[in-house]
Amino acid sequence: MPAPLLELRQLAKSFGGARALRGVDFDLHAGEVHALLGENGAGKSTLIKIVTGAHQPDSGTITLEGKVVAGLSPAAAHRLGIACIYQQPALFPDLTVAENIGLRLEPGSALRRVGWRQRRDRAVRLLGQIGANIPPEVEVRALSMPEQQLVEIACALGAGARIVIMDEPTSSLTQKEQHLLFSVVRELRQNGVGVIYISHRLEEIFALADRVTVLRDGQSVGTSAVSEINEAALIRMMVGREMTQIYPPGESAPGNVVLKLRDVGCKASGVHAVSLEVRAGEVFGLAGLVGAGRTELARILFGLTPADAGEIELAGTRLAIRSPEEAMNRGIAYVPEDRRRHGVVLEMPVAENMTMAVHRRIFKGAWLRFGAERSLALDYIRDLAVKCSGPDAPAGSLSGGNQQKVSLARWLATKPQLLILDEPTQGVDVGAKSEIHRIVRRLARDGLAVLLISSDLPEILGMSDRIGVMRGGTMTAVLPGNADAHAVMSAALGQTR
Amino acid sequence: MSENSRSRWKSLLLRHETALLFVVVIEWLCFNAIGPRFGTLDNNFDILRHTVEIGLLALVMTPIILTGGIDLSVGSLLGLCAILFGKLWRDAGLSPFAAGLVTLGLGALAGGLNASLITLLRLPPLIVTLGTYSLFRGVAEAITRGADTFTNFPASFLFLGQERWLGLPTQMWLFCGVAVVVWLLVHRTTFGRSFRAIGFSPEGARYAGLPVRSRLALVYVLAGVVAALAAIIYTARLGQAKADAGTGYELFAITAVVLGGTSIFGGVGTVHGTLLGVAAIAVLNNGLVHARQPREAAGMLTGALLLLALSAGVAPKLWAAWRSRHHASPSPAPKST
Repeated sequence: MPAPLLELRQLAKSFGGARALRGVDFDLHAGEVHALLGENGAGKSTLIKIVTGAHQPDSGTITLEGKVVAGLSPAAAHRLGIACIYQQPALFPDLTVAENIGLRLEPGSALRRVGWRQRRDRAVRLLGQIGANIPPEVEVRALSMPEQQLVEIACALGAGARIVIMDEPTSSLTQKEQHLLFSVVRELRQNGVGVIYISHRLEEIFALADRVTVLRDGQSVGTSAVSEINEAALIRMMVGREMTQIYPPGESAPGNVVLKLRDVGCKASGVHAVSLEVRAGEVFGLAGLVGAGRTELARILFGLTPADAGEIELAGTRLAIRSPEEAMNRGIAYVPEDRRRHGVVLEMPVAENMTMAVHRRIFKGAWLRFGAERSLALDYIRDLAVKCSGPDAPAGSLSGGNQQKVSLARWLATKPQLLILDEPTQGVDVGAKSEIHRIVRRLARDGLAVLLISSDLPEILGMSDRIGVMRGGTMTAVLPGNADAHAVMSAALGQTR
Repeated sequence: MSENSRSRWKSLLLRHETALLFVVVIEWLCFNAIGPRFGTLDNNFDILRHTVEIGLLALVMTPIILTGGIDLSVGSLLGLCAILFGKLWRDAGLSPFAAGLVTLGLGALAGGLNASLITLLRLPPLIVTLGTYSLFRGVAEAITRGADTFTNFPASFLFLGQERWLGLPTQMWLFCGVAVVVWLLVHRTTFGRSFRAIGFSPEGARYAGLPVRSRLALVYVLAGVVAALAAIIYTARLGQAKADAGTGYELFAITAVVLGGTSIFGGVGTVHGTLLGVAAIAVLNNGLVHARQPREAAGMLTGALLLLALSAGVAPKLWAAWRSRHHASPSPAPKST
């Protein structure tokens, strides 16, 4: 048997304190479709970024056709025949298909003549090779998403790609378009290309892949031939059996209903018919895969993309939330997912970040009161154990977990009724993570209604009093807090047991 | 001297504003040595008088640039407001005082036009104010048909631009008033705080529940009002209102703001820095005249000063990066596998 096209051994990679990969083994043979499966945050994207040269591993080896490669750069990966097809193709919309392919494949020199005929012929040949019926003179803007993906694949082929990585290629495709894509993937396999196929959809993996590797918490937990495994076993591998962390105990003495949604939807963000109730003192976990509509729901509740259907009731009063200011004044707080862009202003000091949502309360008559600001900041720094050199330290100088605490402090200062936490522990080191869990639990005990969005399944299971599962923009199940991982994952994947 | 206060002194000395203050003082001393009349009280009042209008525009440009925006229309608006003021006084028969009040209102309206295009239609400030830059000047020229000028203002009005009150050129008192108001707004109120938050991260400000749109609207309306005030002072100083008043002033104002240490990307900057930036440019321009240098030299030197200031701003960062690359302690050996 020839050496595998690609062989990864014990790859490890950390970002700050967070270990994204901790020993991953993976191999790919020519003429094989090898699926990569795992929860959000299991390490799939990091793995891809290492293989395409965007990140350097901290340790471990990458072997291409028997040769060990060190210091892989994006350019080198391209030269060695590694291509990645992303969900959103990166083509120039105003250029034609042939021009886009030409730009990728022709040598990049400003002073050279364009061989128009040659360019066109190549486009026809490459597109023909994958059985795509796309005229080369059409502007890319006129193509559908899957057609654009096909153009990307044609580029990859033209560049002599031996390894093609497809990252959730079907996430925005219709059924019919999927079939087209599948036949192209099979075509690639026939031509001896190795395909790494990443998808959340189990049925695709069974329809398309030869082998499947499951990643969990940055480790490869197993590789199996698709013919020798079933869905239940895959889900078991994905969620694992043991809980790796100790979660603070919940106290289920929920009070009045704080938030009540009835068939809430928003066309622009693809959320529809969401109904739920969150009570005071309760942590309501919101599970689902990336793109299931959880953040979109949070954005509706915080007035960033107002609802256009259904009813929202807060503490018994029906209301329309049209802006973050309005949400804030009503007692809704949102600690957003993208902490660096939305959660804190990195350049501003910790204290200024913490008071940003309570200007009106602590700065009467709009005059800054530095003393009051400082004492509020010191209170929260102590209360949440924020590690920083002081209230004047720029938020950007803090570690991820401490930035998250600053973001949390900002919203606790508003004394909200409802606290929405969106991936509060993503990219946060283990210590800070359990601290944040304890804080959330304490807040709930003090009577706050918490809506916890998380892709970290153990976190959802460990923290929630009840669990709502979203899929495709709507709530598909509400499970009790003691539900097992298998039940949640099955609902998130849309599997009926 | 304790470690703490020493580092405070050091950071104060290394501040952009401190460096700029030295530049202004050195400029002044040099010109004083060259030009015989430069250092006289009369000439220094002259410098102040000639600086007030651009200074006012620079003052209100500061909060705009702090939000990450820009207003190219203030110079044109100055011209338009000068014409409107002249029209109101001569043709509508208003007293200069009443005409001035109405002009301030019209300036607010013009600023409101910029503000609504920027906040409601979410167009980029650069494009919006590039449009109103042409629009305001065009309207001013249309009103005067390019020929009409307004002169023969009463002496009571010219007092504002040509005389002294309590020992200082009259308009300086207005300028100082505006400077204090803008300084307090930017450095001592939640408004200034939100300007900087918006400048650093508009999305972050929105997620913090700050009223981003109304804050943005405020800075552009304020610019409109103050441009109108500058128009009135300009008219009083020269004793006439013409459609080409204030041509190119927006660029001087932006130069002064950036020279004063405000980041064109928003978030960073101070009002006192802007004042020093204005002073640096004003002293340079006046001093070159006294040193019998051609006017073009002023442009060259202003440009050079600006580029130097900008380069000096990033130099420490580059230096630190270079040092960490070349003088770093030997990096730990890669983990063995």
